[in-house]
Formats: sequence, structure tokens, C-alpha cells
Amino acid sequence: MRVKITRTILMLPVLAYTAFSAGPYLWTAVMSLRTTDEIYRSHYGLPIPAHWGKFYTAWTEFGYATYFRNSTIVSVVAVCLITVVGAMAAFGFARRRYAFRLREPLFLMIFLSVMFPPQIMILSLFQILIKYRLFNTLPGLILVYVATELPITIYLLRAFFAQIPQELEEAARIDGCTDWTMFWRVMFPIALPAVATTFILDFIYFWNEFLYAVVFITNQEIRTLPLAIQFLVSDQYQDIGMLATGLMIATLPILVMYLFLSEWFVKGMTAGAIKG
Amino acid sequence: MPSLPADQMEGTHALSAPVIREGVRSPQPRRPWGSIAMFLCPALFFYFAFIIYPVLVTFFNSFHILRQDLGLTYQFVGLQHFKEILGSDEVFWKAAGNSLTWGIVAPIIDMPLALTLALVLHAKVPFARFFRTVWFTPLLMSYPVVGVIWLWVYNYDWGMANLVLRAIGLGRYAEAWLANPVTALPALILVTTWMFTGFHMVILLTALHTIPQEYIEAAWVDGADRWQRTFHIIIPLLRPTLVNLAILDFIGKMKQFALVWVMTRGGPMRGTETVATYVIKRAFEWRTLDLGYPSAIAVIWFVIIFGLSYGLTRFLQRREAMEF
Repeated sequence: MRVKITRTILMLPVLAYTAFSAGPYLWTAVMSLRTTDEIYRSHYGLPIPAHWGKFYTAWTEFGYATYFRNSTIVSVVAVCLITVVGAMAAFGFARRRYAFRLREPLFLMIFLSVMFPPQIMILSLFQILIKYRLFNTLPGLILVYVATELPITIYLLRAFFAQIPQELEEAARIDGCTDWTMFWRVMFPIALPAVATTFILDFIYFWNEFLYAVVFITNQEIRTLPLAIQFLVSDQYQDIGMLATGLMIATLPILVMYLFLSEWFVKGMTAGAIKG
Repeated sequence: MPSLPADQMEGTHALSAPVIREGVRSPQPRRPWGSIAMFLCPALFFYFAFIIYPVLVTFFNSFHILRQDLGLTYQFVGLQHFKEILGSDEVFWKAAGNSLTWGIVAPIIDMPLALTLALVLHAKVPFARFFRTVWFTPLLMSYPVVGVIWLWVYNYDWGMANLVLRAIGLGRYAEAWLANPVTALPALILVTTWMFTGFHMVILLTALHTIPQEYIEAAWVDGADRWQRTFHIIIPLLRPTLVNLAILDFIGKMKQFALVWVMTRGGPMRGTETVATYVIKRAFEWRTLDLGYPSAIAVIWFVIIFGLSYGLTRFLQRREAMEF
């Protein structure tokens, strides 16, 4: 009996916080299936009938197909690039075989840059990208994204590579592995759980990134989703229904994956905690 | 009081690059320089070309006038920008005050809330996994998405915030939250709380799971009730995690840009201007494109943030070391 009462009391804050946490997004999800006229008549009505066609309209008429494609290109290319570059560097920083005198100071420097505020780089990156004709291009944005997430990626993967026993490396070498084949055939496959963590962390960061995009992309054709939403909210402020549909398009890919892989997502995002 | 082994707290120490220990073996005869270059060079290219070089250029620019209306040519002015920013730039001081307020207030709200939720979930509430999953979700959305949703929540006529107030009979406190210079900043702080509390809760929950059951049992045997066990055993053991999370929260909020940019653009009456938004505005949205003066602001803010994160972590870690 007493246990039951304690349980009930404990459930109160839990339910209250859940309402606070899920309410705004659920409300948006409901609005995404209603027309703007319906919403203005009653802001909290249910989506009856549900206008699934709005997703098609947003996709074809409001440019979300383009923005979605841009976000996909940037996120996928950047995350593949950073995984390869970051894992190789992490391996080089972790294993004793590749130690040299300046390696630890170099690593410490990379690690400290995790805490740099973006403003210290963004204005001169603007200059540099213009100089090399990378301003207002997706490749330019991808290069910047890879560079800004590299420190945290290297830091996380290095810790994993350092734990792999020396014996394994020696055995592989006796079997005739060179450094290159050793990394790709032996070490990288072993590190896949850690790589998956940084892959998710980086992918979510790239998919959601806003600051660099807003400064480096001015051409409407190559806007990513976060950038597009910022423009749509000022251009079509009245069209709440269509905006809500757009927000769903921008968030659903990540949230659907999260539904199936929530443990991995939580692991990935909390691993990046030191980035602040 | 026993402390948790360091490796159980991994991932939450703000500034501790762990030293990797390797087995003591016979020294290698020669270094495989070709392989070292192959593994490190791609990353070092990115790092030096897109991080270190831009940082140095920003420092260089901060001592120069570099404006579009003057032809974007470098004109050395020494410390003039810094004197102007610190001496007479009221917008900078306003923005710094807002950023600092955000940085200090956010952890004060976030930490107790996240701790409460973590302790409740840890007390074997049913569907704990479900709640954890739901609370964590806001972190996975981009700032523009969150910003738009909360623009609607704060709408005066039909937003959720005023709806709730009116429903519980506090309708007279209904407010155009983002249009009032006094309430705009607290309103934005609440949005970041919404985003990050689930995340902090998950990390605290992980730390809770690593507390050895024997400590709790020993306290129980000694006759400590649930409250005493919570306040005298569990929370002190969570302190290192809490401190690190608070520091990271503080630093993260000091850099806040995107939410302001989407929701208020720094208004009303600069009530939500942060240093990050001021730098971007000053560079790209002032009279002319200007890369000198805003660089100086960026340098000042860089020194403050970097110094604070470095200093705070070192100071707090030393205190931890002395106490335990």
C-alpha cells in the first residue's frame, strides 16, 4: 500500500514533465495534418480528416524536395568523410607504433579546440571560402563541417583504438598486414561500435547545423533544411499549417531512426557531451 | 567518503584528456614515418586549414580596420577596436550581460530539474525507458525547428503557454512573451531547458547506475531512510558529474546563437541579444560588411570562454581531488 502511494506521488512530476516535453512537438505534428484555415478556426482541433496530401504539396510546391536533397548531400558526404579521416587520425594518435615526439602536444591542441566558440573562426572562414571560390557552395560547407567536428570525433575514437590489445596488432603483422591493411581489415572493423557512435553524433550535428549554413550559404537553391525553415518562417509566417508540415519533414528522418535505434542515439549524443 | 573510479565518469569530464597508457615494451627500432603521415595528414590538413589558420586570421584581423565601404583593405589600428568595445560599446555590454545571464541561469534551472527526474526514474517508476526516450527527443531537433515550434507556443492569442495559464485561472499573467523585453530572455532560457534537460537526465541516470549497490545497502543497514540515502549518499556521489554538466551547460549557453537568430533576432530592444548574434550582425548586417571590429569582439569572447572553461574545470577538479 505504502509503495503504491509513493509510486503515485513519483508519477506526478514524471507525467507533468512528459506533457511539457512532448506537448509542443505533438501539437506541431497534429497541425502538420491540418490546413491553415482549419488551424485558424481552432488551434487545438484534431486532424479530422487528416490531410496527408500536405506532405506532397510541401515536397513539390514549397521546395522541400530541394532542401531535403541539399541536407542529405551535405550530411551524408560530410559524415562519410569525417568517419574515414577521423578514424585514421584517431588510430595514428592512439597506437604506440606511431608515436613521435610532438604527437601528444598535437593531440592536446586538437582536443582543446573542441571548446572554441565558432565566432573565432567564422569571419575569417568567410574570407577564406570566398578566396578559394568555396563560398556559397555545398563542398565549402562540407569542408567546414568536417573540420569543426573532427576534434571531437578524433578524441572519441582515439580512446577506443587505444584499448585494442597490442597482441592483436602483432598477430596481424605476423600474418603479413601492412599498416594500411591492418587498419582497414583489422582495426576499423573492431572499432565499428565506437564508429557508429561518432557517426550518429556527427550526422545529427550536420543535419541540424545552422550557424555556418546561415553565414556561408546565400543562394536559395542550395539551402539546407534548417536554413530553409528560418527563411520560410519569415516569408510565410501566416501559413502555419504548411510550416508545420515542413517541420515534420525536417525532423522525421532523425526521429524515425531514433525510434528504432534509441539506445545508439542516446549513446552517440551523450558521448559528445564534452563539446558543450 | 569513497569516490567513483574515474573511468565510470568517462564522457562527462569537461577538460580531461586522458593519458593513454601503453604496455612497457622494447622500443621500436625506427618510426614508420610514411604510415604516420598517411594516417594523420588528412586530419591535420582539415585542422590547420579550417581551424588553426582561421583562428590566427581572426586575431590578425582584430587589429585592423577591414570594411567593405573602405575597399576591404587592411589598415592597422592596434588595440583601437578593443578599447572601443570594452570602453564605449553599450550593445556589447548588453549582449555580454545577456549571454552571461543565460549561462548562469540555465544550469541553475537545468541541474535540479534533471537531477529530480533522474532520481525519480531511478526509483523504479514504471515505463522508465519510455519516459527517458521521450524526454531525450527535443535534443535531436535543429534550433530553427525548435525555434518555430516555440514561437507558436509563446503566441499571445493561441499559444500553449497562455493557454495553460488561462486554463489554470492565471489568465491575467498571460503575456506576449517574446515581445516584452523583460520576459523575452527568460522565455528563451526555458526553451533551452526544454531541449537539454532530457540529455542531462540521461547522463545523471548513467552515473546513478554506476553507484555500487553496497553503499546504498550499507546506509540502509545503518538506518538511513530514503531521504537521507538520497541527500547524504547518492547526491554527493553524483557531484563530479553534476559539476561537469553544469560547466558544459554554462559554456554551451554562453555560445548561444541559433535560437535567438530564429526567434527574436536579438530583440525586443536588444533584450535577447547575445555576443554570438552581435558578432554576426555587426559583420554582415551593419552599415557595411565589416571583418575587423567584429573579429575583435570574437577574440574577446574567445578569451573569456576559453579561459573560463579551462580555469573552471581545473579549479573544480582540484577541489574534487582534495575533498575525496
